[in-house]
Amino acid sequence: MFSGLHSGAGGAVGERWARTDARAKVRGELRYAADQPLRPCLDVVLHRATRPHALLESVDVEDALAVDGVVAVVTGAQLYERFGDALMTGPAFSDQPCLAVGKVRYVGEPVAAVIARGLVPARAAAERVLVDYAELDAVHDVDAAAAGGPYVHEELRPSTVFGDLKHLRGKRDTNVNYEYKLRRGDVAAAGHDAVERGGVTVREEFWCPPTHHVPIELPFTAAWRDGDRLEILSTTQTPSYVRLAVADLLGIPLNAVRVRSAPLGGSFGAKMYDRLEPLAAALAWSQKLPVRILASREEAFLLTTRHGAAVTGSMTADAEGRIVAASADVRYDTGAYADVGPRITAKSGMVAAGPYRVDNVEVRSRCIYTNKPSAGPFRGFGVPQVTWSHESLVDELARESGVDPAEFRRRNLLREGDVSAVGTPMHSADFVGCLDAVTEAVGWDTPLERVDGRLRRGRGVAVGIKAVLTPTISNAVLQLNQDSSATLLISTVDMGQGSDTIMAQIAAEALCLGEGQVRVVTADTDVTPYDTITAGSRSTYHTGNAVRRAAEAMRDKLLELAAERFGVPATDVKLTGDGLVSAQTQERVSVPELLHGHFGARGTTLTTEANFTTSWVPYDHETGQSERVTEHWFAGAVAAQLTVDTETGRVHVEHLAVAGDVGRAINPTLVEQQLTGAAIMGIGHALFDQLVFDEGQIVNGTLLDYQLPSVLDLPDKITPIIVESPHRTGPYGAKGVGETTIIPLAPAIANAVRDAIGIRFPRLPLTPERILTALADQEASK
Amino acid sequence: MSTGIELTVNGVRQRVNVGDDDLLLEVLRRIGHTSVREGCGVGACGACTVLADGRSVSSCLARAVRYDGVPLTTADGLPEDDDVVEEFVAAAAMQCGYCIPGFVLMGHELLAENPAPSRAEIAAHLEGNICRCGTYQEICAAIEATAQRRQAARQRRSA
Repeated sequence: MFSGLHSGAGGAVGERWARTDARAKVRGELRYAADQPLRPCLDVVLHRATRPHALLESVDVEDALAVDGVVAVVTGAQLYERFGDALMTGPAFSDQPCLAVGKVRYVGEPVAAVIARGLVPARAAAERVLVDYAELDAVHDVDAAAAGGPYVHEELRPSTVFGDLKHLRGKRDTNVNYEYKLRRGDVAAAGHDAVERGGVTVREEFWCPPTHHVPIELPFTAAWRDGDRLEILSTTQTPSYVRLAVADLLGIPLNAVRVRSAPLGGSFGAKMYDRLEPLAAALAWSQKLPVRILASREEAFLLTTRHGAAVTGSMTADAEGRIVAASADVRYDTGAYADVGPRITAKSGMVAAGPYRVDNVEVRSRCIYTNKPSAGPFRGFGVPQVTWSHESLVDELARESGVDPAEFRRRNLLREGDVSAVGTPMHSADFVGCLDAVTEAVGWDTPLERVDGRLRRGRGVAVGIKAVLTPTISNAVLQLNQDSSATLLISTVDMGQGSDTIMAQIAAEALCLGEGQVRVVTADTDVTPYDTITAGSRSTYHTGNAVRRAAEAMRDKLLELAAERFGVPATDVKLTGDGLVSAQTQERVSVPELLHGHFGARGTTLTTEANFTTSWVPYDHETGQSERVTEHWFAGAVAAQLTVDTETGRVHVEHLAVAGDVGRAINPTLVEQQLTGAAIMGIGHALFDQLVFDEGQIVNGTLLDYQLPSVLDLPDKITPIIVESPHRTGPYGAKGVGETTIIPLAPAIANAVRDAIGIRFPRLPLTPERILTALADQEASK
Repeated sequence: MSTGIELTVNGVRQRVNVGDDDLLLEVLRRIGHTSVREGCGVGACGACTVLADGRSVSSCLARAVRYDGVPLTTADGLPEDDDVVEEFVAAAAMQCGYCIPGFVLMGHELLAENPAPSRAEIAAHLEGNICRCGTYQEICAAIEATAQRRQAARQRRSA
């Protein structure tokens, strides 16, 4: 038994508490950023580039300035004159100006900002900005961009945030801004040996198109000067990052920037790092004006996207059905600005061979500029794209080997204590448990009625692995109020995942508090302490650990105060739901009485704080190997039973079983909602969701054209399954879950389609058109 | 051009000046009903849903001047003990919550027309509302539970 797993006496952890804001959400009373009362702000509307790659010969703002109600029209050249190279921001590369300077790199890039009294004059003026372009050749295809020019950036500009990117500074004549390499064993020799002895190799070219997050809340940022300070209210998952980025941009101290977030109306990775904040900050600071920017849906499509990715993959099994070699050449299309693409490239490259025991692995994963809107983090952080490859390959390998695809995976999956392809041991990642749970749920071993009129029925399964972001930092400040309610200060942002509720439960557990007794303060960098980011399913583990430590420190303080009052040693005092009691004297005191007595006043607060920081061993640049590349792993599996309509090409999912190893479920209802919600988003990626570009122009960038899963796309049945193999240092054994089931979702669907109609689809999504075309080809080749 | 109209929102009448092109969405938010939210601006997501005389309307496509005197309902104005709201809370029918007021109003509209909808009828009615977090099952369950609750109340009254 791990010492970390003993629950407090609180009875909070593991309970299905209602969300702290459930009723306010249903009644529409919760205030998202754009719903908050603000000081009067001027509206900002952007003039955007109409060319994918062009030099800015001139930007004429005279006509725009003449529009009644316009206060200022600001260009990138003006901002560059004011801020210099600090205008170039980004989490991995300092390559993105908030308004184009000198040239534009994608259709829709902001060129000039109109600041006006109201949206009507702002919009009218934005249309009157006149831009002269000198067009440059553009590069739209990721492989063409990797092969050579035209070059999107003259030279690479790694940010100062990550020391390991330093060697890329100033590199010219390339669109490849980062390359991650993983080398283990000898893929060629092992593959050759195995095939010589009756083994099998499968290989394929895979493609995942770019997609969009489409959180229904639109991005919003307001900013204003308050003397020598800048205040920002923004839809951001990363308030601590934004504070640093804005302080660097403006050249002012951290305590001169106040960033407030708000509950987010969904995000999925869309609202993090540099979105509207650098622009709002630069405008408010340089023009000394209060501004607000509300992106339209069409503009939100331009702010960030999910990487399109090409993967050339292969896998070899020996005659006994053991995977002996795997390779992947991964190309991420990161668009015009790197954003966090280099990190995505590495984090997904690490797991591109899948969650299997493979001694020979070769991965090359590259992040490549093209003339498209920038791609950034999206639920899964690039891993769904490589999982699409390895889970399609392993399925074919099983079939070629004559072994059931679930059984084949079971033989090869990593177990507790095994060392993964990157050299880091596995712990609390029960792939086999997840696989067994989902296959059992869909009745994997029961007979299937395969032909049902024009319908063809099939089953498929897939497994996913992801490493949690490491190293990262979380802090928590806890105030226990004299009336025994508590106020928790953290910078984790609740965007629907339910972090406020999870953190309240973790805090309540050690302090024996009840539902509704812990209030979580919304992130405000003047008040709430540093937290790396709310992303990558990291908060339950990292912030949860900081909160647990702060709560345990609070409990210890209470025990000491009570011991003093009772005149007994602290070890004799116990905290219960009814207060504190001495085992020796049976004397009791409630928390309100204890704190009132200690401070001599009502309404007082007792404060504790705690930090939780994870560490890693950086991977070797040539081999990708590290004995500790991550703090922990996520493990998930999906099984699907579906029909393919051979006349319409439509896929209908009858049963979708999704499982994730969450270590320990702090709140099973919220865990099930993450498992199910990610799966529904994944159904879109599998069957229809994609951003379509034509010469760099988004073709379907409105919600009339961009298809999202609706209630009619639900499977007949969804079975979410919580697998718990506790993590030795997780808070009460817990880990996060936000991404777990989106990772293997698309390949599970495609594997079931393969089972139903005998066709392997290497390109997503599996649209009716693609399926009908493939069926016609299959018929023709008979 | 600006016109004075009388808006009746959740039973409260008030005079407001609106421009000819002002959207009902903008005007409702301006007077404090921030439960009405923009998600797409083209009537494709349902986050801006309000009830006009009991019928659902995408307020991002509606001109405010056309709603002079029409009784409007927004989620924030539902009674404290509203049964649809209570069943949404009980069913955990929310994640980020941004789209949920629209679904609540769609539930009201459906149950007024069809007191005992099947799951398929519920789904058909909600087709135009997007919950990107994927809370559809809970939302459908909440509407079903409301129908059952009303049915039970009717039976008690007639017993």
